[in-house]
Amino acid sequence: MRNPDLIGSNRRALGLVILGIVLSLILFSMPLYSFNACVYTKKSPNTFVGDEKYRTVRAEVEQVADDYRAQGFAAEIGEDVLERVNSKGETTSLITFTVNQSLSKSPLSMLGCGFPASYVLAAMLFLMGLALVCAILGSVGTMDLVHFHLDRRTASLRNLAAVALLLALLLVPVFILMNNVAFSRRIALYNAGLLEEGKDALFAKMDRLLFDGRMGADIGKALSGLTMEHSGLIWMLLPAILMSLLAAVQLRYGSIKSSALRACLYFFVVIVCVVTLYPYYVMTITAFRSNAETLDMYFLHLFPTKWIWSNLSDIIHRGVPRYLLNSLLVAGGATGLAMLCGIPAAYAMARMNFKGKKAFLGFVIMSQMFSPVVLLIGISQLMNTLHLNDSVLGLMLINAAFNQAFAIWLLRGTFVSISSEMEQAALIDGCGTFGALTKVLLPMAMPGIVTALIFVFINAWNEYTIATVLISTASNRPITVGITQFSSFNMIEWQYLFAASLVATLPVVVLFMSIEKHLTSGLTSGGVKG
Amino acid sequence: MNSPLNRHKWEPYLWLLPSIILIAVFVVFPIIIVFKLSFSEISKAGVIGGYIGFQNYRDAVHLPAFRTVMLNTFWWVISVVGISTILGFVVAMVFNQKFRGRKIARAILVFPWATSLVIQASVWNYIIKYEYGSLNSVLLNLGIIKQAINWRSSYQIEFIWECGVGIFVTVPFVAFCVLSGLQSIDDSYYEAATVDGAGFWDKLFKITLPMVRPSLTVSTVLNIIYVFNSFPIVFTMTKGAPANKTDTMITYLYMLSFYERKKGPATALSVIGFLILCACAGIYMMTVMRKEDEQ
Amino acid sequence: MKKTLALLLALTMVFALLVSPAAFADEPITLDVIICQYGPNTNDWFLGKGMNGTNFVEKFEAENPGIKLNLDVVSWNDVYTEVDTRIANNNAPDILNIDVFANYANEGLLLPVKDYCPDDLFADFFPQFIAQSVIDDTVWAVPDLASARALFYNVDMLKEVGVEVPTTWAELEDASQAIIDYYNGEVYPWGIDLTTDEGQAAFAYYTWGNGGGFVDADGNWAVNSPENVEGINFALGLIKKGYTNPNPATQTRYDLQDMFAAGKMAMVIAPNQLPTYVSDKGGNITMATAGIPANEGKTGSSVGVMDRVMAFKDDAAPDQAARNEAIGKFLKFFYDPENYVGWVSMEGFLPAVNSAVEALVASDPSFAAWLDVLGTCQFYPAAKAEWDQVKQGVIAAEQAALTGADIQTELDALQAALVG
Repeated sequence: MRNPDLIGSNRRALGLVILGIVLSLILFSMPLYSFNACVYTKKSPNTFVGDEKYRTVRAEVEQVADDYRAQGFAAEIGEDVLERVNSKGETTSLITFTVNQSLSKSPLSMLGCGFPASYVLAAMLFLMGLALVCAILGSVGTMDLVHFHLDRRTASLRNLAAVALLLALLLVPVFILMNNVAFSRRIALYNAGLLEEGKDALFAKMDRLLFDGRMGADIGKALSGLTMEHSGLIWMLLPAILMSLLAAVQLRYGSIKSSALRACLYFFVVIVCVVTLYPYYVMTITAFRSNAETLDMYFLHLFPTKWIWSNLSDIIHRGVPRYLLNSLLVAGGATGLAMLCGIPAAYAMARMNFKGKKAFLGFVIMSQMFSPVVLLIGISQLMNTLHLNDSVLGLMLINAAFNQAFAIWLLRGTFVSISSEMEQAALIDGCGTFGALTKVLLPMAMPGIVTALIFVFINAWNEYTIATVLISTASNRPITVGITQFSSFNMIEWQYLFAASLVATLPVVVLFMSIEKHLTSGLTSGGVKG
Repeated sequence: MNSPLNRHKWEPYLWLLPSIILIAVFVVFPIIIVFKLSFSEISKAGVIGGYIGFQNYRDAVHLPAFRTVMLNTFWWVISVVGISTILGFVVAMVFNQKFRGRKIARAILVFPWATSLVIQASVWNYIIKYEYGSLNSVLLNLGIIKQAINWRSSYQIEFIWECGVGIFVTVPFVAFCVLSGLQSIDDSYYEAATVDGAGFWDKLFKITLPMVRPSLTVSTVLNIIYVFNSFPIVFTMTKGAPANKTDTMITYLYMLSFYERKKGPATALSVIGFLILCACAGIYMMTVMRKEDEQ
Repeated sequence: MKKTLALLLALTMVFALLVSPAAFADEPITLDVIICQYGPNTNDWFLGKGMNGTNFVEKFEAENPGIKLNLDVVSWNDVYTEVDTRIANNNAPDILNIDVFANYANEGLLLPVKDYCPDDLFADFFPQFIAQSVIDDTVWAVPDLASARALFYNVDMLKEVGVEVPTTWAELEDASQAIIDYYNGEVYPWGIDLTTDEGQAAFAYYTWGNGGGFVDADGNWAVNSPENVEGINFALGLIKKGYTNPNPATQTRYDLQDMFAAGKMAMVIAPNQLPTYVSDKGGNITMATAGIPANEGKTGSSVGVMDRVMAFKDDAAPDQAARNEAIGKFLKFFYDPENYVGWVSMEGFLPAVNSAVEALVASDPSFAAWLDVLGTCQFYPAAKAEWDQVKQGVIAAEQAALTGADIQTELDALQAALVG
């Protein structure tokens, strides 16, 4: 007995795979890249049609066009005249000669070019072929299947086909991206007007221009003539992409509907993660760029052409380790103190009844209301009175105080959520209140305490405004203030700014990630039930 | 709760004492100083003079940019807190599903929360630079745009960017608060609802929302305070330019105090801000306490 | 609770006194000094190893036993906040390096220069610089260094486009249009910075170039003069016609300099350190300088920017004479050509004392030309008490005009606030 559903599903899957691949191949062999490459531009200011300068320049441009024609390119000359009357009433004129060359290429023609994109294309084609073979084998195997479920070998074949298709799809953007770079380079070669020096010399020169990280108007000029419809390729590929995607889903899950929702979920998660990580990508790559490349005004490089590791050692010489140490002292001390004061208070709030409990809660919450910016003058006056100005200790105390509210709030919730029976038992056993707290409650409340601890630590580590005003001696600065020296009066040194930011961010992020598991449970007990 | 822990009347206060001292000295005392200053004459260089009544407050309200700044502050708080609460809720709902890589995804979500605002703001400031910003670079290299886009062509757009960065850094906090709320919901509720034939929206409004409301309230109130008091984003990205059109109250009073040297009105403004926040917190406290009393 | 609070305060103070190195015995004089961070090496020079393996503080303390320096290098972003808070706390530094001084002088916080500056050193300063720090015939501060602003242009670009360096506003517009045409708008012909950091400089460029300025001939505020309005409107016109960088309200001078260095901007008004800046940033452009363009029939004027060193009063100091002498020794040491020349050339600024000129010109011949420019510079009226207000006021007016407000109305309001 055959299962008609399964057979229908098989046929559909196979059909979709074949259709997707055929469509892709057709599209790939079409001349989708069309260039109107302006391979040579000569602008001649203060030139009027017919005058002597015009004739000289025109001859020069003809010569270039002839050179191109001699190499077998179809080059045409364009001429554009722009006349204006200036403020003195004189007529000025700008004549633009261009040597234009139209060419179109199919993606498949990339195969033999030897560019990195060629290998990507080859891999794509291979994966598609693999998917096709696996899909056929997988479908044939199930044709006579009696049982509803696929046998294991067939299932794994179909899975392999699905994975191969998905991988091929993943390579599409990579391929397009690489094409962009490859063709830009190529056009730039023609455009530099250096054809006569030979191909190798051209490549060498362009490699230097494009990849040694120096900025220069010549690159921008070289690229400006390029028009390429690569975005068209993406849109035209869409049906093929969709077809393959459906095929993959069909092969993997048998049904499209159930997995559509799943796909949406993954899509959403990926988007959230990409957006979240984007600034960190920027921070990281900029931290290792050369000074010149941070100001890459022609948008050539997604990654540093050369990873400048010395940026790291440079910031070390400019005091960053000291700042990190200060930050560690401030954040560590503040956390310790905040816990030391916060745990008893939270304990009393959770376990005891007394007059003024609400007043205290109000008092705590009020302490959260004022921004440090607002309090700057007050705080610094206080610190001055206490002789704590410009000291790590002062910063520590302030941070501990400003984080009391949050710590108490979190801890109190945690304590409330833990039943008090155990402590009562301990009390009856003769432990004091203090013993009951330290021996019974604290171990049980550990997740909540860790959460609160990390919270306070991170807040103190990231505090900026108070530290700016309070700390004036360079050797007492925490890292958040320390990094401002890289955007000084004379220049912003993005690479150092971000290298230091990276160093400042990394420990905290790692710390936070390490407690991610406790984070929700800590917040649950702390916030929700509180 | 009448527990045996309450052995002496004064004992609870002893437990509270360290915390009270810490807050009193380092938070309340500066607040008192600021209150006092708001009624004193303060010279341009910062020398503090005598009592001048409400003059500083009058000056503050009559500042030309006062209206703009208050409106900006309003929009800044509303949009950042509002949008990030909605987004955070959606993100939490999705991240509460079981899927492969959930652990990694959640760990990534923590990043913006753990990063200093100064650093975040500088990075975003660099990202949206027109001439060499990373956003243009990425989009151009991916072939999505053909020409660099001026991402900050007007002050309205700059303000939207600032709000965007504010939302970016606030969403994770909301998401984790909601996640913690979601985790405390027992699956049996949903199962019962499914048996009763309830759809997705029914479950959302009848079960999920009421159950996570406490966490949403907490995160919203904390966010209102944090966002209202947020300084580095606006200051790093625009410094309120042009002409205070992108200033919020906190950055404005900083500019007022240290750039324009109108320190008196600046302190008055900060007290006004404090009172606004106190009102917000008062409302919150009342609702929370009423609920506790009900329980 | 009040009692507890008081008790705690007392306890903490005792604790703090024990911790902090407070003065009990009679110690050498300690001078609190705040220096602004001019560049990446400032910190190293004063506090690190940047002064031939030693640093300013070490060397000073070795040569002047009995005086200790508590010297901080503070970034320009933070220095106003820092100084103001310290003044509010009666904890003003002894010696301060900053750009403004009028508020401090008017409020009686500063020592007159003659109280501490040795005569031979005082005679060494350029007199036109000293004149910028006088209020009521008293000199309140001495210049520490200066920079002069001039027009920098990309030589290759202007040559390629076939335009001359503009000297008048009309020529500037013509040249800008030609550059736009030639580069299809990919190069900004002209840079304007109207940011909150430095918008007052733009005000100076366009009003001084039109015979206007912050003050009238008698030295009274005249920010709303017709010349000023015309000048600012000209600048706004440049922006509207697309001749400039697109976001003048947030693109700082450094953004402009970066664009200039990258060959994205043809002309920019910048300080004399620009060549150093460009080469530090890896730019490889050929540049030259010219006068700042002025309106037809008006003479443009270079813009000078000067920073100052001043000493604060400290009534609590036990021995005023000894303190003044110590401050004098600090200045003497600071302006000693042996130290000063190295510092000025490291920061790329122009000197403020005659004795440094010879050595600087010898090390870099381009200094000579800049010193000539400096001689003809106009400076901001920083000696007037309302200068802070004017500075922020004109910036706010420019930025408001940028968003569509009428510049005349804005400047009228500012003038009314100043005079009325």
